[in-house]
Amino acid sequence: MFIYVVFYLTTIKLKTICVKLRSMRIELSEDLNEEMEKLKEEIADLKEQFRNFMEREPKRRRGIHIDVGDRVHDYIEDVMEGVAEGIHGELEKSIFIGPRGIKILKERPYHRREDKIEVSFPKVAEVMSALGHEHRLGILSELMSGGKYINELQEKLSEITTSTLSSHLNVLEEVGLVVQEKVRGRYLITIPGRTAYKMARRVTRFLERRNEK
Amino acid sequence: MIWQKYELDEEVLKATEDMKLWQTEKGIIEISSSTLGTAIKLDNRRKGYVFHGHGKLLLDAIVETEEGAIGKSIEKELNESFLMLGDIEEIQQHLTKASKEDLSKMGYENQQGFIARAEDLCDQFFKKRVHYDKRFNGDYGLIFAFLNEAGKLDILVAKGSKLVYKAMDMLFVSNEGKVVLKSQGEVVCKKNGKSVIINQDESVIIKK
Repeated sequence: MFIYVVFYLTTIKLKTICVKLRSMRIELSEDLNEEMEKLKEEIADLKEQFRNFMEREPKRRRGIHIDVGDRVHDYIEDVMEGVAEGIHGELEKSIFIGPRGIKILKERPYHRREDKIEVSFPKVAEVMSALGHEHRLGILSELMSGGKYINELQEKLSEITTSTLSSHLNVLEEVGLVVQEKVRGRYLITIPGRTAYKMARRVTRFLERRNEK
Repeated sequence: MIWQKYELDEEVLKATEDMKLWQTEKGIIEISSSTLGTAIKLDNRRKGYVFHGHGKLLLDAIVETEEGAIGKSIEKELNESFLMLGDIEEIQQHLTKASKEDLSKMGYENQQGFIARAEDLCDQFFKKRVHYDKRFNGDYGLIFAFLNEAGKLDILVAKGSKLVYKAMDMLFVSNEGKVVLKSQGEVVCKKNGKSVIINQDESVIIKK
């Protein structure tokens, strides 16, 4: 009997709770509906505002647009220019490491740089003319191994007289392929002299090989 | 002690014979006989001379490298006044009093004319320089100063095989195995056979 009464009371209690919960749910759903309605209205407003805004403003590029002002733009451009110049400068430098030393050239395409330099043909002809004698080439060849006095050259090039040797040396000195020490009297081959001599030999060797083929 | 108060001897002398004031395997400075000179004094001691006459400067400002020779030989006629400081003991033996005739041959009316010109050169040389007496006691070699075309002074300092030459368009320093030459946009440094050459086109050659 007691159990029945307890069960009955519990059932009534539960029913009461359920009724309460149902009424709460109804209230909540009403509140939520209100909120939903409000939000829908706000969204509609925002959409309207956005549409109006889009109509007023011109179309912008995709991505993030930040207006940083002209000064910042200029600064960035300067920095980028500096970086570009630095990279360009580094690329221009070429380092050649040969068996007899290291050669660093500022510009890598050496032949292109040569092309840019204006060539004075009379000057080229003058240098070539100075080179264009077997005795003068012989003198340069002797000087390639180091500076020599005229008597030393005379010993090596015994087929020519001293006066002829002197005149050949003058020709080579005039164009700057050879330089004479005024105090000691030794003759030395200059950097252009060495280069010209090597070049002449290379060209000749190249032509000889070509003819052989 | 700061040396600014140099004095010039009032007596003008002339060279009795051709003389080599300096000679090494790199260069020569010579004067011919009849070249006029007056002594530069400090504390009543003769420390150098100002010369005017005929002479010659030869200097081989050439550096030999593996790539070839760089530089040039300088050959300069010394027809203008020039200054010399250093050991002058030997030179004094070949100088005698100049006559009026000797002075007139060089275009001077009298001794004062020569000394006034020598003073101008000394003023130009000592003007902005502060020197210590001990620097010119002979241990520091020889110092020459020549007027160049621009009216400025080319300086040559020599002691034994050591040499410094500074001219308008050139700097040449030689100290046994070490040589530095800067001339017409080219620079070459050489030390014990190793050399670095900076050419006019700014290319660099390093030789081991």
